[in-house]
Amino acid sequence: MGGRGPPRPAAPRLPAPALLPLLAALAAGAAEARATSEGQLPGAAAMGTGTPPSPSGTAFEETRLHVFTLDYPHVQIPFEITLWILLASLAKIGFHLYHKLPSIVPESCLLILVGLLLGGIIFGAEEKSPPVMNSDVFFLYLLPPIVLDAGYFMPTRLFFENFGTIFWYAVVGTLWNAIGIGISLYGICQISAFGLTDITLLQNLLFGSLISAVDPVAVLAVFENIHVNEQLYILVFGESLLNDAITVVLYNLFKSFCQMRTIKVIDIFAGIANFFIVGIGGVLIGILLGFVAAFTTRFTHKIRVIEPLFVFLYSYLSYITAEMFHLSGIMAITACAMTMNKYVEENVSQKSYTTIKYFMKMLSSVSETLIFIFMGVSTVGKNHEWNWAFVSFTLLFCLIWRALGVFVLTQIINVFRTIPLTFKDQFIIAYGGLRGAICFSLVFLLPPAVFPRKKLFITAVIVVIFFTVFIQLSAKPANQNNEFTFIIIVFYFSSQGITIRPLVEFLDVKRSNKKQPAVSEEIYNRFFDHVKTGIEDVCGHWGHNFWRDKFKKFDNKYLRRLLIRENQPKSSIVSLYKKLEIKHAIEMAESGMISKVPSSVSLRGLITFNYVSSTDVLTNLQQCGGKHVQHIGHHAFQAVTVAFPFQTMSYNRHSLAADASEKQAKEILIRRRHSLRESLRKTNSLSRERPAAANTKRFLSLPKNTKLPEKLRVRNKTSSRVGDSSDSELDAATTVLNLRPRAGKILRDQRLRQQRPLPEFRVEWKNEVDGSQDGRGEQQDPSTLTQPSIGFRQPLLTRPRFGTLSREDLTADHGSARPMPPPRLVREASQGDRQRNKPENQLY
Amino acid sequence: MGSAHSVPAEMRELADRTGFTSEQIEHLHRRFKQLSQDQLTIRKENFDSIPDLEFNPIRGKIVHAFFDKRNLRQESDGLADEINFEDFLTIMSYFRPIEMNMDEEQLERFRKEKLKFLFHMYDSDHDGKITLQEYRNVVEELLSGNPHLEKESARSIADGAMMEAASICVGQMGPDQVYEGITFEDFLKMWQGIDIETKMHVRFLNVDTIAHCY
Repeated sequence: MGGRGPPRPAAPRLPAPALLPLLAALAAGAAEARATSEGQLPGAAAMGTGTPPSPSGTAFEETRLHVFTLDYPHVQIPFEITLWILLASLAKIGFHLYHKLPSIVPESCLLILVGLLLGGIIFGAEEKSPPVMNSDVFFLYLLPPIVLDAGYFMPTRLFFENFGTIFWYAVVGTLWNAIGIGISLYGICQISAFGLTDITLLQNLLFGSLISAVDPVAVLAVFENIHVNEQLYILVFGESLLNDAITVVLYNLFKSFCQMRTIKVIDIFAGIANFFIVGIGGVLIGILLGFVAAFTTRFTHKIRVIEPLFVFLYSYLSYITAEMFHLSGIMAITACAMTMNKYVEENVSQKSYTTIKYFMKMLSSVSETLIFIFMGVSTVGKNHEWNWAFVSFTLLFCLIWRALGVFVLTQIINVFRTIPLTFKDQFIIAYGGLRGAICFSLVFLLPPAVFPRKKLFITAVIVVIFFTVFIQLSAKPANQNNEFTFIIIVFYFSSQGITIRPLVEFLDVKRSNKKQPAVSEEIYNRFFDHVKTGIEDVCGHWGHNFWRDKFKKFDNKYLRRLLIRENQPKSSIVSLYKKLEIKHAIEMAESGMISKVPSSVSLRGLITFNYVSSTDVLTNLQQCGGKHVQHIGHHAFQAVTVAFPFQTMSYNRHSLAADASEKQAKEILIRRRHSLRESLRKTNSLSRERPAAANTKRFLSLPKNTKLPEKLRVRNKTSSRVGDSSDSELDAATTVLNLRPRAGKILRDQRLRQQRPLPEFRVEWKNEVDGSQDGRGEQQDPSTLTQPSIGFRQPLLTRPRFGTLSREDLTADHGSARPMPPPRLVREASQGDRQRNKPENQLY
Repeated sequence: MGSAHSVPAEMRELADRTGFTSEQIEHLHRRFKQLSQDQLTIRKENFDSIPDLEFNPIRGKIVHAFFDKRNLRQESDGLADEINFEDFLTIMSYFRPIEMNMDEEQLERFRKEKLKFLFHMYDSDHDGKITLQEYRNVVEELLSGNPHLEKESARSIADGAMMEAASICVGQMGPDQVYEGITFEDFLKMWQGIDIETKMHVRFLNVDTIAHCY
């Protein structure tokens, strides 16, 4: 979604490497700029060829007006930040230009590579370590958007269905990993040959606790690409979110233990209590702020433009509040997002909702990109200490303990699960334990005074991350004396990030099949829930379903009433249906706009549906009249779209003008719903009475690309100005006046036509442009087959699928998806059923 | 009704047929006795004694399913007046979770059985097709818990869902085609994306038999 979709079709196939030098140059520029500015005193800040600032120390010297000044330090920080973000985004675009690349190598790996390259360049240019990722920046700015995004779009239901397992893995699994890795590393450190004897047990445990944090960023980055089935995904991902609490606690606990002289038993209990406070406290803050956010959006309907902001502000607030109390910020923001999601969605307008969605995706994908690039950059530098034993044993233990942990824990949890996890699942879960930026940042946070071997830890963490995230690639100083040359050793280890996709394929793990949400699916799911709850009730058992049912009732009774503006509790089916309808309508409108020569359907749809009320537009339309209907239509369409905004739009900072497409969507929607119902009803009743009469359906709904005579179209619009806004436009008085008799005639006509096969139909079809000029006069003539379009409601939804993407819509405009392509239809009609005894009242 | 319970052989037979463990059968049997008030069979009225079921919007359909002969694996059609414990178990067995050692074929059959059960709940007139009217009824029932919702929207939702069904099952509809209703094959197709076998299950252990019945 969001920025993730590779722009495949139109993109030139530029290999990514071609872009790299550019990026590198950009980054080097930024780095150089920083170098120079950092080197100088803040006061004397001029760079390059700008006018040297006059030393303002002496009072005599008058300052002259500068024609051109360059004040880099003034903008330095925002400037650099912007450059970095730009760079990250460009890098992302770069990867997707070459469309095969992302399918082979996960994006995160490529980003780290870019980061490494940049780090190398900076390192080479400056001869000092490039800036490491600031842990504060990471925890306060980069991490929240990603977690927010993840929490907001989390499949809540799935999450809670698997909550027990997730919790089990997150808490016990992390403890297991941390203690296992810590103790076994301590064992290794005791072997004096490795030169690691100065690392104490507590330090090892601390290291174990930070290295055992499975990282949501890395997990998301890798797992989103490979689409494993939702159950697996939620297990690994849920674990990575929840284990933040335990990681934070363990980390702080061991860190303070390391700094303490003596440790009493009470401290350990305090640690355990701390865990609950950190986790539960975070969740509570999140839930509380989530409700407040939902409640706030209840009142925003007057000021729609700031609606999206609340979502971000409250969730960020929950994060930093939790951090302030040293609670788990990740859990807070996740809880907040999950809580508000449902209510906010119904309170805000469709547009705000889209904005929220896009903004969230944008933020998270940018931060993710930045994190990976920074990780690459920070790797290069002098802060490494290489110890084969420590690094390789860390790696080994990470893998072993993870695998063991998952295996053992699954054996236990499988007893309680109704659907046990298979061995394959376990393997993927173990393999999916990706380490990422969280451990990376945590290790940089270690106080060097207490941890003399911090550099060693850093190196080990980086190796583990790199191993787990992609091809193991590490920078190793040639010797311990900080030689500036470094060798990048590329181990072509089969590593997790790259191998997980083939592995998933190889193991034939059930993949998820992502598709459009469909109303019927929602109906089935709801139906299904009720059935399950019912069966549980029948057998008198309180299960998941029981609690879900109870929560739903509570939700409907109290929460929704409080948090959602309209006091009508809406069913999920209804809201989904509405959403889909709006989406479809907008898509229809868009597809009409995009197509170069708009098919007359979309054209007519747009014009008649929308701009009817404005007379200016009508005149515009008429002025545009030319030789060619298609052409006219096109121009008219453009004229309309151009003319319309100027008419109504006046600048207002606080509200967006209800713009064309929204109204348009609404109109289309109303019509669509109506015509849909009509067509369904008719086909249904017809088929029931006489299945053979299927053919008659075509008269009830107009073939999609029948062209409407220009004059008539305009006339129709003028006349139906009143009726148009109402649901049943054609029943409105004005329209009916015009159309009823005509419709009757046409009907009769068609029936007549049906009787005798008319060979000239196809010809007529071709020059319907000419015929159409004559407008109403020719109605009796069979050539104006197209006329009925006015008389009958045209179902907008003649093509049956309506949840599909606009791309399909575009292609579908010509032919296949259209249920009733007219020419063929006419032919078939003439051969088809010739019964006359069709009662007229079926049609009205 | 102690007979099925006390004789281990009979119990084993039941277990074999329905796939429940003897422990689960015992649980369910206790529940059955409660519902039937120690009679040999359950009638429709017995379901009224389940308080929680009252609020279920599709309560009628659920109760109906218990008496639907199609679900009871008797080839016959129609409605039973009363069901015995074996029938009760049979219905419950549609909600068994999958087992680890099932092979592909078994899984497929399992899935089909479950779906068939659901299909029968939709197909109230037993003609092997979910017609638009039936669909509408289901949606109306589903939404009946919501007093603010007018029937119109329920209908339009059902219509929309039917259109979807048509597009999924028939694909591109020909110009003169009329979609008459969802057949079981179509039903299967529509459920393809949903892992019914991992979702349609109820845990039969720890059945608390005392709490929820009076």
